[in-house]
Amino acid sequence: MTACAVSFSGVEKTYKRPRLLGAEYHTAVKDLSFELRAGEITGLLGLNGAGKTTVMKLITGLLFPTAGQVRVFGCSPSDVAAKARVGFLPELPYFPPQVKPAAALMYYGRLSGLSGADLSLAVESAMRKTGLEPHAGKRVSEFSKGMLQRLGLAQALLHKPDLLVLDEPVSGLDPLAIHDIRGLLAGLNSDGRAIFLSSHSISEVEKLASRVLIMVRGALAATVTRAQWEAAPGGLETIFVEAVK
Amino acid sequence: MKDLFLARAVAFNSFSESVRNRFFTLFAVFAFTAVYASVLAGVMAVDQEARVLTDFGLALIELTALAYSLFGVSSSLLKEAETKTIYLVFSRPVPRRVYLAGKLAGALLTAGLMLAIMGAIHLSLLAFRGFGLPEFYAWALAGTFLKLAVIISFAFFVSLFSTSAVSTLVISSIMWTLGHFAAEARFMAERLPGFKGIVFNVFLWLIPNLQLFNARDAAGAACALGPGVIVPAASWVAASYLAALWLLARKEF
Repeated sequence: MTACAVSFSGVEKTYKRPRLLGAEYHTAVKDLSFELRAGEITGLLGLNGAGKTTVMKLITGLLFPTAGQVRVFGCSPSDVAAKARVGFLPELPYFPPQVKPAAALMYYGRLSGLSGADLSLAVESAMRKTGLEPHAGKRVSEFSKGMLQRLGLAQALLHKPDLLVLDEPVSGLDPLAIHDIRGLLAGLNSDGRAIFLSSHSISEVEKLASRVLIMVRGALAATVTRAQWEAAPGGLETIFVEAVK
Repeated sequence: MKDLFLARAVAFNSFSESVRNRFFTLFAVFAFTAVYASVLAGVMAVDQEARVLTDFGLALIELTALAYSLFGVSSSLLKEAETKTIYLVFSRPVPRRVYLAGKLAGALLTAGLMLAIMGAIHLSLLAFRGFGLPEFYAWALAGTFLKLAVIISFAFFVSLFSTSAVSTLVISSIMWTLGHFAAEARFMAERLPGFKGIVFNVFLWLIPNLQLFNARDAAGAACALGPGVIVPAASWVAASYLAALWLLARKEF
């Protein structure tokens, strides 16, 4: 039996927006239960507002569930022991424009508990893996969107996490950058890392993931395995369209 | 030890980002202009030139450092949340108490550097006019730093519940002003009878008495800041930090 990296059981997340009189409530995810297995690439598909980013933030402890329970490697997502095993790439990550990539990575490496020679090695390795080495002398302000995304991925890899949570990792990238990132993620997975990625690109998820979760209006509409979508006429796209209709 | 290492990383990152920011250079130029203005006031004072030059310069240093610090702090956490930089921090094993302590230390370091730069400009102007180092000058700057520490930590607290940087700026500025009238307000509260007096007294305990750190006023009169003022300053900073931490621990991003 494969070990469980993340488990959601009956999770609900409701956002409260204060108004002049009272408050407005919006339920982003409801009664959500699923598991992410260690060492597996799982995709998360859904239309805008389906709750994909909320799920990712719940895993990384940036949001707290209103009801239900989220466990990451058996711990609460807010627990430092869980966070030490998770790498997160948010959509469109920001880095100070005046710094060079190594300086930005040094900072995030320190926050991940690395220091001294380990830190230098981790920065070097993350830059090499993400193809940032030739751009080491540039400042972040000179980076293209694709390079920023690589830097975002590099900061998530620094502490060699067991689980990578990637929110739209190929959003807005050119085909060559997408190809490179796909290769990088496949390589990381072959090292035994679990990857959980959300995307609007069905074809990208189809190429990488071995299992896909489809979310519709905050609920889990379907869980599809590679064997299922490969056997289905029209593939994953048809299954997705039918699920969200 | 690990927490200290993390807090140091956050503090130095916050400090270097502030110093690299164009806003810092702009303020340094503004500070030079403002402090230089004290030369004009000093010249007009004729035989009291040294005292006016010292007092006026120290007052301008304090107000400029206050404005710089409040502008920086009021948008600091808000900007990190808006740019999602905070996602990269809080998705790592960084306890929120450590992050807040690091941000506070970074802001204090920046304020300290701003004070040192302005102090150097001011002293060079005094030397240019042929005056030596005023007695207790360092105490006056230390008093200003303690005031800044109190108001910076308060601004961090306010920024965690206010809806914009402007409201943080306004609320913190009001607290700064109230803090300079705390003794007068306490005097009045003691004379208020019954329940009203009790409520007013309790409310006043929430306002830091910034007059305690006013060595600046006393510098020309050759009177030093008592070392005992560290305790109230540390207490107000700690209270604001704990209140801010209470909010930050519950905050979602």
